[in-house]
Amino acid sequence: MAQEKVLVIGAGPAGLSAARELTNLGVDVILVERESYLGGTPKKLKYSLLFPELRPASEVLDPLIKSVEENSNVKIYKESIVEGAKSEGNGFIVSIKDKNGKVTTEKVGAIIAASGFEHFDSRRKYEYGYGIIPNIYQISDVERMLSENKLVTTKGTPPKRVAILLCVGSRDATVGNTYCSRVCCAVSIKQAMEIKQRIPDAVVHIYYMDIRTYGLMEDKLYWKSQLEYRVGYIRGRISEFMRGPDDTVVIKGEDTMNLNRALVVPYDMVILANGMELGLGSKQVAKALGLEFEEHGFVKPLDPDRFPVLSTRKGVFLAGAITGPKTISDSITEGTAAAIKAYEYVTKGVWEEPVKVQVSSH
Amino acid sequence: MVNKALLSTLPDDPRYLDASYNVQGPLPEEDRNLLSNLKPEERELAKQFWEAVKSDFRFNEYLRGCLNCGVCTSGCPAAKFYDFGPREMIQYMMRNEVDKIWEFVNKKVWACVQCYTCSMRCPFNNEIAGLIMLLREYAVKFALPSAKEVLAPYRRVLLTVITMGNQVTPDMIQPDAFPDWGPQAVEESKNMDVYRKAIPVDLLQRTDIGWHSSLQTAVEIMTIFIESGVLDSIKKIDKDLYDMIMDIYEERKQTLEEIKEKWKKGELKEEDLPDSWLEL
Ligand code: SF4
Ligand code: SF4
Ligand code: SF4
Repeated sequence: MAQEKVLVIGAGPAGLSAARELTNLGVDVILVERESYLGGTPKKLKYSLLFPELRPASEVLDPLIKSVEENSNVKIYKESIVEGAKSEGNGFIVSIKDKNGKVTTEKVGAIIAASGFEHFDSRRKYEYGYGIIPNIYQISDVERMLSENKLVTTKGTPPKRVAILLCVGSRDATVGNTYCSRVCCAVSIKQAMEIKQRIPDAVVHIYYMDIRTYGLMEDKLYWKSQLEYRVGYIRGRISEFMRGPDDTVVIKGEDTMNLNRALVVPYDMVILANGMELGLGSKQVAKALGLEFEEHGFVKPLDPDRFPVLSTRKGVFLAGAITGPKTISDSITEGTAAAIKAYEYVTKGVWEEPVKVQVSSH
Repeated sequence: MVNKALLSTLPDDPRYLDASYNVQGPLPEEDRNLLSNLKPEERELAKQFWEAVKSDFRFNEYLRGCLNCGVCTSGCPAAKFYDFGPREMIQYMMRNEVDKIWEFVNKKVWACVQCYTCSMRCPFNNEIAGLIMLLREYAVKFALPSAKEVLAPYRRVLLTVITMGNQVTPDMIQPDAFPDWGPQAVEESKNMDVYRKAIPVDLLQRTDIGWHSSLQTAVEIMTIFIESGVLDSIKKIDKDLYDMIMDIYEERKQTLEEIKEKWKKGELKEEDLPDSWLEL
């Protein structure tokens, strides 16, 4: 049997996990990454602590990166994209283009698309004034500020009053995103606690519609932030921000616990919990591989319940946030799942098609 | 796909379904029924009113659902000045609370300035300002006392809109008429004539109209208002105003026809044609 090869697109948590798993199974990996480093969005945006355990992101990612980078069975193309994938037998001939435009072709038995998400760009919610009003940041900006220990306002001092607004770019038909991004509640509360750890006398308010710290995160984040850090929760979505005196940001909201009670409150710093979208990178991947999209604009799995890591194209597997908002641990799990499925495919030709089952009472 | 059949019904008012009424001891149906929040003589009307609004073809297009986020109310300029908020209306609607809707339509609904900020920002894409307009339209259709009361000071506005196509004429900008305009209105009202004369357009040197429309245009405007049913609504709510407008309409229409007739027969020279009905 010739040495089997699988192409993995994207070196974030899902892609790295898939690559590691495949090499463990004795399959060679070709890893294509758009950036000049491995680690994906968490590395790119310099994530600080990860929820819910509040452990440094590098503690989770670095061993994964190391195991892939140092593995001689993984051939890595950095600063490259996959341009196309022609079917040949059960496998593919893929063309990989580097930043100088040089195209290389590789023959692989299967493909795992794990090119991930991009954060919503809050400038699209123009009434929030992100990018125009000073001292308004996104959670994706704050991660870097926290990890570099530079959480300061434009005055150069740590903020004493911070507001965090949830669901920016998610659950919002005005920007076309009617889904929940799943992680931003947890990230925001984690950031609130991190801010309180560093600036104990800071006032931190979270403006929410619902708190979605589902599963085991409820007490580790939502409860703990109140018990140990006295983070304030105000129920209402902010409708607009104004520039206040002295570079403060004034929020306008409704305290929906009290009918018609308007809130106009100044803060030193405002953080927008921007959500997740597929992003241009994964759109390009989907186009190059001929994949379909589901109704929210993410890549469509063959069957969301039965085959969540199979794509609609035979031999192409999916892992991570390419199919919808995911946590880092979910992405790592899916990377493992996709690796197993790809392994079955390249070694035994296993590709299950969803069968229509007659269900009597529906 | 939206299921139209399902959409047509709203959930029953949850307060009415509240079982604690039973736990606390039996109450006569009459008392449990929250319609008892309404004056007995208004109950039927309140129900009819709400049913009429719900059966309007726009209702289920405009009302989609609600996250209770408060974005509509917090961006609403009217909510700043009055005990009013678009979210409260949406909530009453979603819960099918006929007594609350009745209260809302008889007082609060008139606070909205139809700026459409709420509609534009609502993350659930409700057409909130449209729903407010719907309530108002039906308030006028049902000739509710509140509609009469609210529209009374606007008789002159209605008259000028319908007869001249002008909405607010400069001399209407008086501090007592528009208290919410603040000190600006006081200042403007003081020297209205002078300001107006400074406008170097001949026709605008007076304060009782905003601009001229020709006789032909004026008749066309009025025809549109009549044909679209606006005058029918006014008839119920303000019979005097209706009569007045219809008199003016008949008179103008006749004048216009006479002029056209003369013109056809060649009895009028071009320079004899009026360029404004005000000069007739
Ligand atoms: S996870 Fe929380 S902040 Fe993010 S979209 Fe869902 S509810 Fe909103
Ligand atoms: S349209 Fe009416 S309810 Fe909506 S924001 Fe404007 S004033 Fe408020
Ligand atoms: S903005 Fe829309 S979703 Fe939010 S409270 Fe108002 S009606 Fe409900």
